[in-house]
Amino acid sequence: MEATLSRPAASALSCCCRTTSTPRLVPGLIRHQSTKARTKRMLNIPKHESFLNPRPQTNHIIFNPPSSEASVYHTPFKFLPKNDPRRRAQLPQLFATSTTIQYPQPSENANPEELPAAFPPELGTKKYHMTKEDVEEMRRLRLEDPVTNTVTALSQKFGCTPWFVMMCVKSPREHRDQHKAREAAIKAKWGPKRTAAREERARRWAMLFRGEI
Amino acid sequence: MKRLRVERWTNQLLTARSGAAGGISCSAPRIRCLAAAARKSLSTAAAESSAPVIDGLDNNPRFPPLEDIPPQAATLPSPLPERALQSAKLAALHARLSLSQKIPLQTLARTLVDASADSHPRFNNTNLAFVGQTLINYHVAEQFMIQYPRLPMEILYAAIKGIAGDTSLYHIAKSWGIESAAAPGGEVDPGFLQYSLENDGDAILFFGSVRTEAKYLDKYKFRRGVSSRVVFDNDFGDRVDEFAQNIEDDEGASGDYGSAATRKRAEKAHANHVRAVVGAIYAHCGRDAVKAFVKAHVLSRKLALDKLFYFSDPTRELATLCAREDFEKPIARLLSETGRLSRTPVFVVGIYSGKDKLGEASAPSLDHARRKAAMNALKAWYLYSPGENARVPSDMLAEDAEKWEPGYIDIGEIITRGGNFRH
Amino acid sequence: MAVKALKAVSVGRNGLGAFILQCKRIDLHYCDWAGSSKGMNGFIKSLLPKFAAAHPQIEFTVSPRPSKHPVAIGHYINGREKAICVRNMEPYEILKKLELLRDANGEKLKKLSKNVTSINESVRGVWSPYHGNGLQV
Repeated sequence: MEATLSRPAASALSCCCRTTSTPRLVPGLIRHQSTKARTKRMLNIPKHESFLNPRPQTNHIIFNPPSSEASVYHTPFKFLPKNDPRRRAQLPQLFATSTTIQYPQPSENANPEELPAAFPPELGTKKYHMTKEDVEEMRRLRLEDPVTNTVTALSQKFGCTPWFVMMCVKSPREHRDQHKAREAAIKAKWGPKRTAAREERARRWAMLFRGEI
Repeated sequence: MKRLRVERWTNQLLTARSGAAGGISCSAPRIRCLAAAARKSLSTAAAESSAPVIDGLDNNPRFPPLEDIPPQAATLPSPLPERALQSAKLAALHARLSLSQKIPLQTLARTLVDASADSHPRFNNTNLAFVGQTLINYHVAEQFMIQYPRLPMEILYAAIKGIAGDTSLYHIAKSWGIESAAAPGGEVDPGFLQYSLENDGDAILFFGSVRTEAKYLDKYKFRRGVSSRVVFDNDFGDRVDEFAQNIEDDEGASGDYGSAATRKRAEKAHANHVRAVVGAIYAHCGRDAVKAFVKAHVLSRKLALDKLFYFSDPTRELATLCAREDFEKPIARLLSETGRLSRTPVFVVGIYSGKDKLGEASAPSLDHARRKAAMNALKAWYLYSPGENARVPSDMLAEDAEKWEPGYIDIGEIITRGGNFRH
Repeated sequence: MAVKALKAVSVGRNGLGAFILQCKRIDLHYCDWAGSSKGMNGFIKSLLPKFAAAHPQIEFTVSPRPSKHPVAIGHYINGREKAICVRNMEPYEILKKLELLRDANGEKLKKLSKNVTSINESVRGVWSPYHGNGLQV
């Protein structure tokens, strides 16, 4: 039964009990003795060895990162200026030498595979393949027939982002007006719940950017 | 009947704090008054209202008036300087602020007279307030510039205004226990702050110039860029004529607590009093005393700088920053999540540049979390601080100052072209 | 411009930097005739000069209030006042009451059953279940 116990305190307790050779029915589970003094002695388990480290000979820093979101007042190492004393102090190296505490790997030694997955999936590196003629062609197509040559269609055709298409060309005014009218008609059909939900969503975004949520 | 401050039917005994007046080493006034108390010949008198309220008591030999208000007092716009020595309120204020004995009560009395109460610059606090505002703004600005060298100019302006602006100084004046007279006048106790709720006074209190296009700024929504604000506008990046412009809009609609205009005037008068006290300290005690005073009363106040930022496109700005500083492209990574399919999911997203985490945040949607993390990373960049004990330029004015080591100067804020905003 | 500024006003913390005594004025009322003012009259004669000299930041006003019990009223920076009736008290008892008025901050007396909170940021932040990988000892 003792083998199944995994709690360090409990196992320490049971081995204590064994040395005192007190007769017990369920060893390790009864946390009291007949007298207070015996109970105290029984519960007086030795400290974990991590607490028993000899006093360090040199100054060192114990780094125990809090389990909380980092404060914005703690500048990331990368953001420190070149001449900042914190950069000169080589703190990550100091932390790495700590024997008692498992410190997360300093950035130089970090394994890229260990980093969590990126999201949205990383876009490829920029190709910069669009020429002036391509842009001219894109403009011509979009202005000629904005209904067929939508932003998405053009972006797929030229292999660029929709954002780039929108930067290059603006659709004709009547097309934009039609689009707006269609959108307004759709919005007019919304019931009160959907309207309120949309409004709330916009308000939530604004609150996010103001740092309120 | 101009003012009526009937506190109780019995009113205050006016005593001056002994020795508060510079150089006058007499401890007489208080003792005399207290002795008078002992003789039980104390009486009532309206401290700041003259005869009308207590007409019947004026001739009573048992209750003679406490203070001889000069006959011409009611015709003056503000109390005579010599009456400052008789005011218990002033003496108490002097002691409450732990002011040096070098500052006479007359000067303290002058700091309480706003330009809207007395337009004469030799009797109001305009000149002292002007000196005071330059000193306060200088000390606050140097503190922020040294301690947070990467703050964008807009945030720096907001921070200086948050600490040294009218509203903040108004709160300081209130925390000193400054009381204001119902209306200014020569017969008012000089211990009251005197300002008019009807007019603004013509005191010029800020550096800066009125823009030529001032009239059209609001009408056509002209852009007021940061560079032009540095050149033309006052220390808070506000237009110098902004107060006059806004006060016109706020006029009218006066409720129980006055209109927005009267509240603004009160705020401004209180703030100018605080500035004038700082100016008076400078005039009588010098720059070291001013620095200590500003540090104790103004800079000790708490302002959460991280609450001042309002980002419009944080991810883009962070990408620009990383490109500018030659960091790897920032990438959002999902660190942990819970309840993705539930009504209350939590996603923790970190923004990495290469292998370094720049910032992280948790939010109920992936998109929110990503942008919040980018905002946190940007705030961490902007709020870089060389430490609490970084030396400011004015430390060099001390005689035994060590050699100056220049503070960190950033190359400037991140500039992105205005994008399309999500909200 | 990508970053704009929000408006904020700083918050004062009395005692951090400068300390302002919250009691700004104490009114003392007495009666020449009534027996309940006997202690108050003695206090004004013997103890008040010293007390007032020790507290220059408080404005003292002494005034008669015939045919009424003696009162000490403290006025505070937050605009409130605190009145204590000192009838039939000895001068030293009144001195104690004045010290009470001096030390009060003018707030209404209330039982503090909630934890005291700070506007300062916690050094180790707010605990979050999503952060930290635990201390591996």
